[in-house]
Amino acid sequence: MRALGRWLAEHWIAVGSPIVLLVVWERASATGLLREAFFPRPSTIVAHLRQLAADGTLWGHAAATLARIGWAFALAAVLGVGIGLAMGLWRRLREGLDPVFAVIYPIPSVLFLPLVSFLVPPGEIALVVTTAVTSFFLIAFTTTHGVRQIDRLVVEAAVHYGARGWRLFATVLLPGALPFIFTGLRLGLGFALIVVVAVEIVSASRGLGALLWLSWQILKVEDMYATFFVIALLGAALSYGLAALRARLLPWVQDVAERR
Amino acid sequence: MSLAVPAALLALWELCSRLAIISPRYFPAPTTVGWVLADRFIAGDLGAQSLITLTRLAFAFALAAVPGVLLGLLMGIARPVRDAVEPYIAFIFPVPKIALLPFLLIILGVGEPAFVLTGATSAFFQIVISTLGGVQTMDPRLLEVGRNYGAHGPRLFWKVILPAALPAIFTGLRLGLGLALVTLVAVEFIAAKSGLGHLVYRHWQMLSTPEMYAPHVFQGTSTDVTVPESSTARESTSGASPRCSNSWRNMRAGKTSATY
Repeated sequence: MRALGRWLAEHWIAVGSPIVLLVVWERASATGLLREAFFPRPSTIVAHLRQLAADGTLWGHAAATLARIGWAFALAAVLGVGIGLAMGLWRRLREGLDPVFAVIYPIPSVLFLPLVSFLVPPGEIALVVTTAVTSFFLIAFTTTHGVRQIDRLVVEAAVHYGARGWRLFATVLLPGALPFIFTGLRLGLGFALIVVVAVEIVSASRGLGALLWLSWQILKVEDMYATFFVIALLGAALSYGLAALRARLLPWVQDVAERR
Repeated sequence: MSLAVPAALLALWELCSRLAIISPRYFPAPTTVGWVLADRFIAGDLGAQSLITLTRLAFAFALAAVPGVLLGLLMGIARPVRDAVEPYIAFIFPVPKIALLPFLLIILGVGEPAFVLTGATSAFFQIVISTLGGVQTMDPRLLEVGRNYGAHGPRLFWKVILPAALPAIFTGLRLGLGLALVTLVAVEFIAAKSGLGHLVYRHWQMLSTPEMYAPHVFQGTSTDVTVPESSTARESTSGASPRCSNSWRNMRAGKTSATY
């Protein structure tokens, strides 16, 4: 209790400012200072959120989005780490692929949707593959860099002590690259969320992005706010959850690009 | 070597498309795309559409950079401001900014301000966070030395804090520019009736594939120019320390050739 009190004394502005904002917003919409059609009261939004959750609509859409992110992330992680490691280990492969990647990578990911929908059956698979594209490049880049930044002295010492082949890889190269791989995975997951919402807006009938866009098209403003809130929660859960997970599972691994 | 692989891929694509091994309707030969690209650039509207996208990018970036850097610095030096604003930044930063588009559309109406502001928000939060990080991670010894030599208030800010934060500010600006471009193209794809993103969407809907790929080629090759040092990801992954980002740049330029 006392710890809580001290924490509150320390952070009272951080706790108070959102509360004040919500109260002011509520009053301003109620009195007509803000147009309620555009800025519905927070209490109304919460009511709509509860209703969306109660009739199951929200869970269906959220599950669709989560499944897409999950598949896309798995695809990007496996291919990205695999190809990234290979590119870090073999110079020829790296020199061959680097110019190709350098041209493809900067193309904004939504633009891949048409191309991907020609390559694979349009629909769910196309959405997942499009979502995976940018994450894949991110993960491959960071993994390659992770292998390349390992101190040569360490590698040479290991080789002198007789480590080569699989052993060199598993005991020196992979652990050395792990912090970078983890950073790549974290950034990749973040990007998967960004892209999945965009492609859902463009061409899906299910998913949080689709729900958001549909609510705007039929001007259900309260549902828009409610959906946005859920997307924001998902984003926070993914980015802060993963950081906490790393601290728990891999305490020795430093994230090389921790939010700054 | 570095050009051999892309050239071989293009040749393979050309061959497969010409021999109709892959459907030329969906995957037109690179020469066809190149021809269309050149033709549309000279005679058609590719140049004009790119200019529209670039103009939006310029406005979005300007709208994000100035307030972003100012707020970031203010949060860095004034503890109450940081406490008051940080909850919102932390809440909205991981949200895909494209999800803000419907809100801006209902508040501002369908038009340029909504498109540009959506792009601006994605850059804004990145710039605030990088700037704040730059102030927070500066070497405390610098501050102490500055104070010991009698620097206070504005002097301390201009001579010590700002210069120390400047590298992080520039990283934030660069990342922000890249993010703004990605978001803007998605916005064009979804809602706007002009710009490169819309061009791809329109030609996708009409299945005029050579025209559809032309903006891809344009984006892939020109983003290196529009976004200095290219690629947001490479920066965000390696931006943690100048050493890392430099080694990545060297690697791209093929200066380091260590093989493990």
